[in-house]
Amino acid sequence: MIPELHVGWVLFAGAIGLIAIGVGGLLMSRDLFRVVLALAITEAGANLLLVLSGYRFDAIAPIVTNEVGGVMVDPVPQAMVLTAIVIGVGVQALALGLVLRIYRAYGSIDVAEVRRRMDDDIAAEAGLPLPSGREKPAVHS
Amino acid sequence: MNAIVLPVVLPLLAAFLLPSLARIWSSAARVLGPVLMLVSLCVLWTTWGEHPTPFVVALGGFQPPMGIAFHVDSVAMLFAFLVAGGALLMWPAWTDDDTMPRLAALTLLLVAAATGLALSGDLFNVYVFYELLSVASFGLVSARRTGAAFAAGFRYLVISGFGSVLALLGIALIYLRTGTLNIAHLGQLAPESLADPFGLAAFALLLLGFGVKAELFPVNTWVPEVYAGSSARVAGLLAGVVSKLAVLVVVRMLVVVFPHDETRMLLLILGVVGVLSGELAAWSAKDMRRMLAFSSIGQLGMIFIAFSIPGEAGWVAGLALVLHHLVVKSGLFLIADRWGGALQSLTGAARVSPFTAGLFVLFALSLIGVPPLPGFWAKLQLVIGLVENGNGVYLGALLVFLAATVIEANYLFRLAVAMYAEGASSTVTAPSGGNRIGAAIFAAVLVAAVFLLNPLSEAIDDLAVVGNDATGYMDSLAGGAR
Repeated sequence: MIPELHVGWVLFAGAIGLIAIGVGGLLMSRDLFRVVLALAITEAGANLLLVLSGYRFDAIAPIVTNEVGGVMVDPVPQAMVLTAIVIGVGVQALALGLVLRIYRAYGSIDVAEVRRRMDDDIAAEAGLPLPSGREKPAVHS
Repeated sequence: MNAIVLPVVLPLLAAFLLPSLARIWSSAARVLGPVLMLVSLCVLWTTWGEHPTPFVVALGGFQPPMGIAFHVDSVAMLFAFLVAGGALLMWPAWTDDDTMPRLAALTLLLVAAATGLALSGDLFNVYVFYELLSVASFGLVSARRTGAAFAAGFRYLVISGFGSVLALLGIALIYLRTGTLNIAHLGQLAPESLADPFGLAAFALLLLGFGVKAELFPVNTWVPEVYAGSSARVAGLLAGVVSKLAVLVVVRMLVVVFPHDETRMLLLILGVVGVLSGELAAWSAKDMRRMLAFSSIGQLGMIFIAFSIPGEAGWVAGLALVLHHLVVKSGLFLIADRWGGALQSLTGAARVSPFTAGLFVLFALSLIGVPPLPGFWAKLQLVIGLVENGNGVYLGALLVFLAATVIEANYLFRLAVAMYAEGASSTVTAPSGGNRIGAAIFAAVLVAAVFLLNPLSEAIDDLAVVGNDATGYMDSLAGGAR
């Protein structure tokens, strides 16, 4: 017999799972675009957890109607999650803009390659020998 | 409603109007930001005189804990003051070209968000201001529009975004247990609902989340590349001012909501690791920008060690280190605008600009803690606090701190000696007039502090009493809001 699972635990597990997937993606992605996606997944997990922190399964939506009675869900976390989602979307758009700029400057969105080019550029600007051992930083716009 | 909201609201409004104004009347747009900083300073000054602190401002007229509130006490006022003053002295948007409106608008957003962080008494509001601060700083970091600036800005964004997720998780855990996010209200509920491993986990998440901006180990890997890739004034603003606001948020949570031995120990250990890693990396750095960046990681670690000391002694040491680091590191970054390159190229730099080299030596001596400069007094407070505590772990932290000071002295003296080397001619050019004046103002503040040490230490003692007074913070809620 399958043991009965409360839907709340499934959702909690889902939130934690999304965060785990996102963290794994952040650590293992070799592509800047995937890094942005992993960040979005992590944020989704955190938002889900925030909604769950005020959710009650035996309650109704927090809308004032003529009907009397019934417990309402705490609306505060939902309002906060709306804010968090909007902030998250803004940051993701900015991140994608930066990825585009990096691609135009370096012609690559590989994490290691961008890192090396950035270190070279910083060293070249400071007048130091390049860490990658190249003669001079590759030309970019 | 109260005039204290103006230092948050006016820069926000101006940030949105500024790009349009710049098209019509660009010279007005250029001075708008600095003028607003002066207005903010005036508003803060008069509010400080008129109202007995602490008081609570209910935004939109909704009484806390239901509504969102500003909690204004003298510590919050001090930090709001530092934001406006620091931004005024290091205003990054004096340029003539077409980047001016963008830079000025972003700096105004940064200032509004940082002031909001200092004043806010609601945890979710703190999160929103923190995100606003982050977005503004990503823009400022990338504003040089080089490949390195974009790449550094992106890496900063990813680490910072991850930090925000952690902070949001911490907020979710706290809300799950308490059902409130007003910090004063949380402080009242915390002894029953958050004094367990669950609460410790929530604090650790908040610490790592907000610690990103405070250059806390291990979420500080963005620091060297961002400070090397962005303009020197932006780096000075981030290292000098913004990092301190994140420290304030963390310490507020520590004192009001999580005043336990475990949370203090967590802060102490992360601070110690930060001091060691930062100073060692600064010692092996080969260019001045990254040397300053790593050294600021070390200094922020010292600040975290100071705030982990329980009681007022910790606040005295912490506030002294915060003020000292703000003045010194901002001044050093202004010098690093033209002198930020390889350390070797600075050999004999004293001949290029004796004045700037003199300022560098003054800042370096104070950073190391040579008496009678204020840095000595600040570090002395930390040593006294650690020794008086007497606990074995704190004595261990003292040893690390002293070793770090030796390393710090080594790399700063090495550079100072090289600047005055005989017979060498440096390739660097003298810093621009604006940067020299800015650095000179910071140096003047430093020297003035030597003579005003007595009134200054009394003021810091008073602030430490307010900062450490968790009950006073919670009671201000009961007093009703304006």
